[in-house]
Amino acid sequence: MTTTEQTLLEAIRGAMHDALAWDARVVVLGEDVAVKGGVFLATDGLLERFGALRVIDMPIAEAGIVGVAIGMALHGLRPVAEIQFADYLYPAIDQILNEAARMRYRSNGDWNCPLVIRAPFGGGIHGALYHSQSVEALFTSTPGLKVVVPATPHDARGLLLAAIADPDPVLFLEHKRLYRTLRGPVATGQGATVPLGVAACRRPGRDVSIITYGAMVHESLRAADALAHEGVDLEVIDLRTLVPLDRDAVLATVRRTGRALIVSEDNLTGGFAGEIAAVIAEHGFADLDAPVRRLAAPDVPAVPFSETLEDAFMVSAAKIMTAARELARY
Amino acid sequence: MGSDDGPPALSAAEALSAYTVMVQARAVDDRLWQLSRQGRAHFVITSAGHEATQVGMALAIRAGHDYVVPYYRDMALVLALGQTPRDLLLHAMGRAADPASGGRQMYGHFSSRARRIVSGSSSVGSHLVHAVGLAFALRIGGERDTAVVTSFGEGATAEGAWHEALTIAGIQRLPVVFVCESNQYAISMPHHAEVPVADVALKAAGYGMPGEVVDGNDLRAVALAMRRAMARARADGGPTLLECKTYRLRPHSNADDDRRYRAAAEVDAWRARDPIGRFGEVLVREYGVAPAVLAQIAGQARAEVDQATLDADAAPAPHPATIADHVFGTVAGAAPRSEDQRHA
Ligand SMILES: Cc1ncc(C[n+]2csc(CCOP(=O)(O)OP(=O)(O)O)c2C)c(N)n1
Ligand SMILES: [Mg+2]
Repeated sequence: MTTTEQTLLEAIRGAMHDALAWDARVVVLGEDVAVKGGVFLATDGLLERFGALRVIDMPIAEAGIVGVAIGMALHGLRPVAEIQFADYLYPAIDQILNEAARMRYRSNGDWNCPLVIRAPFGGGIHGALYHSQSVEALFTSTPGLKVVVPATPHDARGLLLAAIADPDPVLFLEHKRLYRTLRGPVATGQGATVPLGVAACRRPGRDVSIITYGAMVHESLRAADALAHEGVDLEVIDLRTLVPLDRDAVLATVRRTGRALIVSEDNLTGGFAGEIAAVIAEHGFADLDAPVRRLAAPDVPAVPFSETLEDAFMVSAAKIMTAARELARY
Repeated sequence: MGSDDGPPALSAAEALSAYTVMVQARAVDDRLWQLSRQGRAHFVITSAGHEATQVGMALAIRAGHDYVVPYYRDMALVLALGQTPRDLLLHAMGRAADPASGGRQMYGHFSSRARRIVSGSSSVGSHLVHAVGLAFALRIGGERDTAVVTSFGEGATAEGAWHEALTIAGIQRLPVVFVCESNQYAISMPHHAEVPVADVALKAAGYGMPGEVVDGNDLRAVALAMRRAMARARADGGPTLLECKTYRLRPHSNADDDRRYRAAAEVDAWRARDPIGRFGEVLVREYGVAPAVLAQIAGQARAEVDQATLDADAAPAPHPATIADHVFGTVAGAAPRSEDQRHA
């Protein structure tokens, strides 16, 4: 097994390249994915290497893209569908939730639907309302669908390979701000998968547990470094997958610190942070020295465009520091 | 074009077995309405009136080889593909042995992987894209000589996913036959309130595929048109949109009262053109089948449905402890985590 330095985008592209090379059942489909190589170039070069039967340009028809991927999966292929932006998963929601997620259950295990839907999500890139959304909470409440949010290049590759190998549908949400800004060591090779449903401790600490995922992992790590100078020691847990959720890791970190700050880029009400808070309240109450705290975006319909408004929307290291400081003092 | 007035398109054996399935389907339908009135079947959705369309379709399908992506109306179709009255009654009564779903889906959601009958949801028009994906997979795998059939009502053609399915199939020229069971109503809504043109088949032009209207109450006309469309699909000649004009002889479901939106005289006029009686006459007139044989087929179908009802009645319901089975499959090489055990 070798390790190379890659951006998040390179790791994702490499995972698709290798999955296509290793497994004849894998196909890639989506808007602009073949000739152009994807609007973010996540599929760059795949058409040239694997041909038009396995790297497929699809029309602007998101329900069609996901529905076609379902049909392919029913015949035994392992489709990896790209939805150009997570904001455009909405036209495909019936296919994702009513069809893919429910196929195994509704057929009593006779059919299954091994497909991956990749979608760039997240704000802080001046993408405004329809190129910045965090949509995970719409998908985490339907059992039958797995939801993955990698935060490092290594995980992006390993989790994507695990998602492609998984026998059930997986929504794979890639934070577009991290695509090129994040570099890191990536273990390559066929065995280097990261199992779904296992969280990672990114930084051990004694005082407050930060439980988060996606780009907020990095904001939290920045906040932790800064607060260390003030003598506040943060632990940072990266959930990596929201479904299945690593409840053991959530409860274990609360047991260690007695204080939980859940950080989410999504808005507060009905967001996935609420589910984490509920798990801690139900199963970790006796370990708490302070109330569970959620730090999330304001309850507005989406990320606004103007820089001042976007900054006001986004959770940042500075906001995390303020919240963590308060919680440590409680 | 073959029809009641044209040359015989089916062998005597084919014709007789098609008739038998049509009669069997009606006997199952009769029984389901009866069970519904008795409170023993919670949901019934009828196929009465659609038998010639559905059994005609099946005459062009190689069961277990071609994929079929049906909708809730297709009971006669799945019978023709080899499912039994017992399978259907187990499904209608929500038994553990229901082959479609193990008692999870309400009646009308037919499925059997072994027969390549694909499980569907209740979401109208959502399944055509699966047929397109299956056809795409066949092409990717180089599996020629296999085609995909999907069916739907004319009301479903108003759905966005319907349009996306035909768009993609048309662009890629995939081996799919789209069959519209055009029965003039979508629950209460007449054809013109769902479809802006007189024939669904006219829409085919917009998707770069041939569209054809057939008399959906004429078994042989449907079989011939289907065979042409399937031959084209198998020969890599692309998709077809086939519209079978027919009529639903009973209310949409046991929750519907069709007197609120259509005249009894209209229903009666269509009853007089019942596709089963019509094909029975063809059997007698053109195939020299004795009327007594037809009566015998009807008696046999009733006896079979009686037995199927007894079997299904006696079959166990799913155990409540199985409610969380088949949410996810098993991940190869993964050890069970403590959370899974807690919730097991
Ligand atoms: C997406 C969706 N909307 C509404 C319904 C409720 N519904 C069930 S069947 C039906 C009518 C469908 O009519 P048509 O497509 O013509 O088929 P038919 O029932 O006449 O065979 C409606 C509105 C549904 N099941 N799914
Ligand atoms: Mg209709």
